[in-house]
Amino acid sequence: MNRLIEGGILIWLGLAILVAFLIAIPYFASDYWITLFILVFIFAVYASGWNLFSGLTGYTNFGLAWFIGVSGYVSSLLIADYGFFWLLAWPIGAVFTSIISIGVGHILLRIKGVYFAISMVALTEGTRELFGTKYFAPITHGGLGVPFVAGIQLPTLYWAILALAFCTVIICYKVFSSKYGLRLMTIREDEQGAETLGIHTTREKITAFILSAFLVGLAGSIHFTYQNYIDPSFAFNINLTLTPIVMTLFGGIGTVFGPLIGAILFTFIHEILWAEVTQLYMAVFGAILMGLILFFPQGLLGWMKEKGILPKNRKL
Amino acid sequence: MLGSVYALVGMGLTLVWGVVGIVNIAHGEFVMLGAYFAFWAFSLIHLNPLFSVLLSIPVFFFVGVLIHRQITERLVKQHELSALILTFGMSILIWNLAQFFWTNTYRSVSFLSGSFPLLGLVFSQSKTVSFGLAVLISAALLLFLKYSSWGKAIRATSQNPDVALVCGINTRKMRMITFGMGIGLAGTAGTIISLQWVIFPQMGATYIAKAFAIVVLGGLGNIHGALVGGLIIGVLEGVVTQYVSAKMAQIIPSATILLILLLRPTGLFKK
Repeated sequence: MNRLIEGGILIWLGLAILVAFLIAIPYFASDYWITLFILVFIFAVYASGWNLFSGLTGYTNFGLAWFIGVSGYVSSLLIADYGFFWLLAWPIGAVFTSIISIGVGHILLRIKGVYFAISMVALTEGTRELFGTKYFAPITHGGLGVPFVAGIQLPTLYWAILALAFCTVIICYKVFSSKYGLRLMTIREDEQGAETLGIHTTREKITAFILSAFLVGLAGSIHFTYQNYIDPSFAFNINLTLTPIVMTLFGGIGTVFGPLIGAILFTFIHEILWAEVTQLYMAVFGAILMGLILFFPQGLLGWMKEKGILPKNRKL
Repeated sequence: MLGSVYALVGMGLTLVWGVVGIVNIAHGEFVMLGAYFAFWAFSLIHLNPLFSVLLSIPVFFFVGVLIHRQITERLVKQHELSALILTFGMSILIWNLAQFFWTNTYRSVSFLSGSFPLLGLVFSQSKTVSFGLAVLISAALLLFLKYSSWGKAIRATSQNPDVALVCGINTRKMRMITFGMGIGLAGTAGTIISLQWVIFPQMGATYIAKAFAIVVLGGLGNIHGALVGGLIIGVLEGVVTQYVSAKMAQIIPSATILLILLLRPTGLFKK
């Protein structure tokens, strides 16, 4: 017992140093490193958000880019066309996405298994095509895209996304170790069984879906503010769905810190691959995906839990 | 007429899905490989594309069997997410390699580019030939599944793998054959597509979207449904392109999937 407490203090101390280090990065690092860390945290939020819903409920959400794109579009248009302050535009985008997600969740979450995954892809692709057509052009500027300047400094952006990533991890930790998280996991293991036990499965799924939509949407808004540009094929790109999924699988699906570790490692792998083999980047990416599924289905954290390096605890 | 080829792609997908239980996202990439197969056979050794349609059936069947034996059989009993992500990895691996080796140039097979009049309408030769081929292959597939002993075994595996196993059917072998047939159908559809449309490495993505719409329309694992679904998607696409715009026609697959899944999740036809 005593050792456990000591270990706990050490972990907290380590975490505090890590957080202090991360907050201090803009004071000494170059712009390259700041942007790299911004991307790491954006994708960490995407991956954790995906994991929060799909890792727990077992419903594969192949429409993460839809959350990102919708929220990104709302906030970008607010900034570009209506001159909103960025700090105001981001939450509006995320809240808007969550509100639509209530409707989408009510409708699509009745569909099970692979069909749900396909319908989310269809929703994303359909929205992408629709935003590019001339019928939506008065609002979305059509396929040309919207370039805009939000007037935000790089360090401020970095701190904003760092704060969001921090909150996301805490929310994930709370959810995963709560009874609510357990109920969601019951849905993953046996949905009918969960219903028999008196769990209102649809309601639980929808709340998780909305929470995931809100966090991912907020990160999406920040992502496009950072890029200073948005267009349909960019905002609803299938890669925005896949990269977080791969990161989650890499780190360990259904774990709190798996997506985070996956996002950190994968962003650096991405940087190296992109620099070394630009032409074959997607092929290497595909091969890594296949290898992960075949030989490493548990992910890094899952593997470490299996080997006994980490305790089998759902708080990790 | 487009619809008949879409139906071929969709039938391959629904067959693998229904029997093997794997959603093969890389299906569209095999269509692309089939198209390139016909293109290279035509431009390098001047093989008649009609002959390469015939040749592509055994070639892609073999490729499919090999892939299934080495990779996908391991995923049969696992969560469907694994297969989904694995085949997605396979899909981007294949198209990126194709892009790397064959570049992004749009290519086409210039064969049978004339047209002929019939009953007062003008028909393009290549479209008529590809329609005929697609119908022929679909008919052969339906007959094979209905009457041959392998076909019966495959249907049994699809309905209940455990009972089929008890009845003495080698379900493992049947899954392998089915996967081969699915890839074979995709490859053949690709060679037929090369007769009339342009070929490029990312073409698989457009066909996989349509194939999913077809499978959802026809109902999972329902071959007849996929055939009709293919024709419906083809006709819808033609009508919308003609009367609304080509841009709107691209929304059809997504819209079909969403509508059908919401209104009639078992597909248009009950089994």
